[in-house]
Amino acid sequence: MQAAARRPRTNHLDLAQRILDVARQRGFEPGTHLPEQQIASLCSVSRTPVRAALRLLAEQGVVQWEAATGYRLAVDLAAQAAVTTELPAAEEDELAEAILRDRSARRLDQTVTASGLMRRYNADRKTVLKALTRLTDENLLDRAPGQSWLFRRAPDDPEAQGESYEFRLLLEPAALLAPGFRLDGARAAALRQGMEALAALPDPAFDTREFQRLDIEFHGMIADGSANRFITDALSDHLRLRRLPGIYAGINVFRLKQSLREHLTILDHLESRQYEVAADLLRVHLRLSRSQRPQAASRGAPALFGMISRPD
Amino acid sequence: MNRMRKPNPTIALFPEASFGAALNCVGIAQALRARGARPVFICHAGFTGVFADYGFQEYQLPTEDRLSDSERQSYWQAFVRRHLPHFRLSPADQLETYVAPTWEAIVDTAVDAEAPLRQLLARLKPDAVVLDNVIMFPAIAASGCPWVRVVSCAETELPDANVPPYLSGLATGDAARAAFERRYLAAVAPAHERFNRLRAEAGLAPLPKGSFLEASPDLNLLLTPSIVRRERTEPLDPDRFVYLEGCVRSEGPFEVPVFPRDGGPLVYLSFGSLGAMDVGLIERMLAVFDRLPARFIVNVGGLRDAYRAVPDNVYLDAWFPQPSVVAKSDLFIHHGGNNSFCEALRFGVPSLIMPYCWDGHDNARRAEETGVGNHLSRDGWTEGVLERAIVGLLADDAMRARLRENAAHMALKPGTDVAAQAILSLIRT
Repeated sequence: MQAAARRPRTNHLDLAQRILDVARQRGFEPGTHLPEQQIASLCSVSRTPVRAALRLLAEQGVVQWEAATGYRLAVDLAAQAAVTTELPAAEEDELAEAILRDRSARRLDQTVTASGLMRRYNADRKTVLKALTRLTDENLLDRAPGQSWLFRRAPDDPEAQGESYEFRLLLEPAALLAPGFRLDGARAAALRQGMEALAALPDPAFDTREFQRLDIEFHGMIADGSANRFITDALSDHLRLRRLPGIYAGINVFRLKQSLREHLTILDHLESRQYEVAADLLRVHLRLSRSQRPQAASRGAPALFGMISRPD
Repeated sequence: MNRMRKPNPTIALFPEASFGAALNCVGIAQALRARGARPVFICHAGFTGVFADYGFQEYQLPTEDRLSDSERQSYWQAFVRRHLPHFRLSPADQLETYVAPTWEAIVDTAVDAEAPLRQLLARLKPDAVVLDNVIMFPAIAASGCPWVRVVSCAETELPDANVPPYLSGLATGDAARAAFERRYLAAVAPAHERFNRLRAEAGLAPLPKGSFLEASPDLNLLLTPSIVRRERTEPLDPDRFVYLEGCVRSEGPFEVPVFPRDGGPLVYLSFGSLGAMDVGLIERMLAVFDRLPARFIVNVGGLRDAYRAVPDNVYLDAWFPQPSVVAKSDLFIHHGGNNSFCEALRFGVPSLIMPYCWDGHDNARRAEETGVGNHLSRDGWTEGVLERAIVGLLADDAMRARLRENAAHMALKPGTDVAAQAILSLIRT
């Protein structure tokens, strides 16, 4: 955590992401001119941070700078849903990821304190508090009395996974069926491209991390498209838990690919505005992912059942 | 074997309700599917979904499930409480405490499965049945198609004067053999008598004392790789007994996780699904791992929440794509399950075997005898002993070189392919 000084500031990273979101929403194509003033007003900020954020995007090759014309978009955002992953992580983001990783591996207890984390990660109080705030904002942690925080229950044990699927079975089809559902066309196109590319990989080259990203993005797109804001909020909060390390561990490549095919079929129906069919397929998809599997078995003893997560 | 073969024969695979046998059969089924056959699984209640995850059709045996979810949970807690102390006993002392009650339960399974299995096989009409179990199901003999026995345990499962007794963990020629055999026969006699009654009712001839599964008249497959194979007084008929050189399924890729304390060789620990319940033992081992300049991947089953303050060079999780993990490891600490042992050999990785029951004892002994690993009892180790065993195996370059050479040999002829070819050679039009 000592190299913090060279890392970009969080607000510049956030702004860079917002610029990309705006460009994508407005359907900007590669080569589109990005005047600083226009971007500043679209993002409701002043020109100075916009300049820093554009510089950051230029370093990543997402935009190009030319002396004569200024900044231009250099990539096809519709085909690249995950430009954010290319951006460098801010110090507190990196610390937050390390905290989640260590909790998942049970190196951290359910309750953590700021001073304990400062010692463990050799980080200053400000960075630790920012990381804790980020995790609290994302509903992964709860503030507890004193300078302590409590990890929320993650769907990483059979019982919690079962409850998670029950919750999603209730709400995800409802997100589609609430009148006024809107599909983000650019997001859907980028997802389709990503899922098709991943499904085409041979099994030994399959990228589980990319699957995790696409899976969360796919279900997040359904949540975000809902016309009912409470459903969107509840699902978005819950889907964030699926970003935790270990949630996708132990899933077979066959099922992952099957899952991608199910996503693509649901997407077909969403794009043709057959929301009721899409909702039914979504239910089947979630039910298939929520299959009972034994946790333990041996000669002479019946299998121990448990809800083991499968991908969705 | 000049018979015309059916183009898409249905092969019904029937593994016992354990992950070892189940995943071993998945490997064979993958190779059968690649050759155009239609492999399907007959599975016990509770294993539904395991085979579908690999893309195979499942037929669940409609056995009467007497337990609710919470009763099953209680059953398991009681099972573990009852048997954990037994896992620390010698193989001979486990005969009355663990082996005999286990055989009783296995006979229960065979009795319960008989009627539904007959109905299912009559409906399925498979072209061959592959049985990966330790007990015969009379319905299979009555099915009218060829059947294949997969010897899922160590080679000791097939008796021979020159092979130590099954489950004994004894060395070849050990003077304790006769006493162990007497004690074994006495301990399992009630279960065996009950099993022979089932056979008689189904029209099958009784089996000799202590034997629960005959050799198939058609084909028998043994996993035992040649590097650990035994010399038999009466060699097995090569027309009916085929050695597979292991039988490792293909799994998805495994990405080695980031460790806060990174660097050093990679060690994988898995005691199988039942062994993962011995949390106390694994906790003691983690304390030793913390001191060593290596990274440890630990399979803890569904018990992750039982662990606290896990060391920075340890990563634990509920499940791993084991063959892909073993392939990246420098040492595999396991319980001597036959699949684990074969996977270690297939990828040229030394084994440190800490057996708790069944043929784990036999494989542990064999690993030491043949110089492919080391053997540590689950109870009689101190921190220093475990540390020396791990460091010693990691530093044994000669063993590693020999294992790598053997692994290259095993890779040339995958056991799954040999098994699939042998099974398909039985199919007639």
